[in-house]
Amino acid sequence: MGPASSPAQATEIALVQFDRALFSEEVVLKGCYWLARDFICEIATADSASIQVTIKPRQSSSVEALPFAKETLIQSVSDFALREKIDAKTSGIRDLLLAKAFSEAGVLEDAPTGTFGDKIEQENPQGMFKILGSC
Amino acid sequence: MARTFFPTEKYGTKPATFSLLPFRFMRLNSKELLVNEAGEFLFAPSGTVQDLAEGSVPINSELYLDLKAKHFLYDEASSPLFDLLATKIRTKFDHINGGTKLHIFVVTLRCEHSCDYCQVSRQLTTRGEFDMTPATADRAIEMMMDSPSPAVTLEFQGGEPLLAFDMIQYIVPRAKRLAKERGKLLDVVLCTNLACITDEILSYLRDERIKVSTSLDGPAFLHNRNRPRRGGDSYEKAIEGIQRCREVLGHEGVAALMTTTAASLEHVTEIIDEYVRQDFHSIFLRPISPYGFAIRTRHRTGYEMDKFVEFYKKGLDHILEINRGGYRLAEVYSQILLTKILTPHSTYYVDMQSPAGGAWNVLVYNYDGDVYASDESRMLAEMKDWTFRLGNVHRDSRASVFTGEPALKMFEASCNQALAGCSDCAFQSYCGADPVYHYATQGDMYGHRPTSGFCTRNMSVLKHLFSRIEENDRDVMRIFWSWITGSAPRTEAALCD
Repeated sequence: MGPASSPAQATEIALVQFDRALFSEEVVLKGCYWLARDFICEIATADSASIQVTIKPRQSSSVEALPFAKETLIQSVSDFALREKIDAKTSGIRDLLLAKAFSEAGVLEDAPTGTFGDKIEQENPQGMFKILGSC
Repeated sequence: MARTFFPTEKYGTKPATFSLLPFRFMRLNSKELLVNEAGEFLFAPSGTVQDLAEGSVPINSELYLDLKAKHFLYDEASSPLFDLLATKIRTKFDHINGGTKLHIFVVTLRCEHSCDYCQVSRQLTTRGEFDMTPATADRAIEMMMDSPSPAVTLEFQGGEPLLAFDMIQYIVPRAKRLAKERGKLLDVVLCTNLACITDEILSYLRDERIKVSTSLDGPAFLHNRNRPRRGGDSYEKAIEGIQRCREVLGHEGVAALMTTTAASLEHVTEIIDEYVRQDFHSIFLRPISPYGFAIRTRHRTGYEMDKFVEFYKKGLDHILEINRGGYRLAEVYSQILLTKILTPHSTYYVDMQSPAGGAWNVLVYNYDGDVYASDESRMLAEMKDWTFRLGNVHRDSRASVFTGEPALKMFEASCNQALAGCSDCAFQSYCGADPVYHYATQGDMYGHRPTSGFCTRNMSVLKHLFSRIEENDRDVMRIFWSWITGSAPRTEAALCD
């Protein structure tokens, strides 16, 4: 089940609930962060299965903007959840790429451990590695 | 004659699965903008990132091939080409290679202008105690040459540096001699309002190959309003000075910069037209800096960043129109960002780098020997805030400047890869970090992105430029590329050749 948005209990707040099975506390916090210019977000544990966010407009913002804020938060939290998934699949390779990039730039005092070459390409006599290496 | 090709199956079997490479994304104009670690980007249909996360992008689709070509994924038939991607990432970070390149010498605080937006607490023109001494200059030159960078730029600033012309004459030959001894290339730039320029000074600048950077805020009514001086003739002095510089130094020997005040906001087309009238081929639409003396007068000169963004967008449209008419005019901020977006390269523009350019790529030597992380840091010190004073040329070495507490504190907030709001941002590769700006405006070097003027400006400008790129208008793209390459926009005929 995705985020559940309930009708505002009062005219000046909006409530959104996020299913913990789908959305981590971290991604909810990140979504709320980007609303902080115009809204105050109170984050609470609704129950063991969900996180509840109460959105209140700041003085600079209007009550009429609340539906948009709610929609923005739901989209934003969903996107951060997607980023979390991508990151889980790619953070290892990102570290490897950055280590390789900087280990050959002469800016590190100690070379990082491990093999950073492209093994498949290195073993392929006609591979891109050989072509680039001969340039 | 139509060409025929073998079916793609002849060149290899289709992969069964694929793996992801790291990237960031954002939604823009009902599409998804994907950007990888090397800054390569792809506009993809909405839903693509979800499909990538689930491994459900059709392997026989055009989109799959685009994603593979731009390093968003790899499969058993391609291998990730780590070396190639790592090289691209290293190229994108080239600005951190080599150490500090720009060295600003504040030879005097004296100035005969009294601009409201001036970031420096200028002093009366007769007060010599605000001039750099020879002993301080000697130590500053040493520290500049201790930078590992093989090429350094010495930039004279003030106050009005020409009021301490004797100090310029003292520094230039010594810096050149030391640069020769250390095997470094040395560029010298003079930032001046040109009001005090003389034939003697111009001859000296020509003989020493010193470039000139001056201020031109727009047509006379605006320039003179922004930059008051006794006689009310700042504009006339600037224009006369530009002409004299061109006669002696050549047309490219003098460049101009503008500052956008509240009074400028309604006059962007007039400002741009003034640059064309004066035969400049670049203009930098710059917002006012919220530092130093400018903070005291911000009720007169300041504005919300949203207003600047509208000013920029309107200005960019006008500049594109001028280029379409055949006159080459580049908008410098767009040029910097487009270089980062459309080429593998970074730029040496210190206000838009990660790690932040302050100290890494620019050091400021104040008239009294204090060393600051940037010009803006020095301006904070004029307001009695010495947070970014990294040391003093008489007490410190380059090493102690870089390992002192002020520098280390600043470096912690200098990488946008590790800042809240920036770490997930699709624009991270093109943007920067600015601990000095955020400290000055929000009281915190790390900054709060949702309320940051720096983030508002850069996010808006980058979205605007990406929207123009996504439109893929032939005219606009050839103009953008002409800014990047520094050439005249190619004509339709040339494009067809």
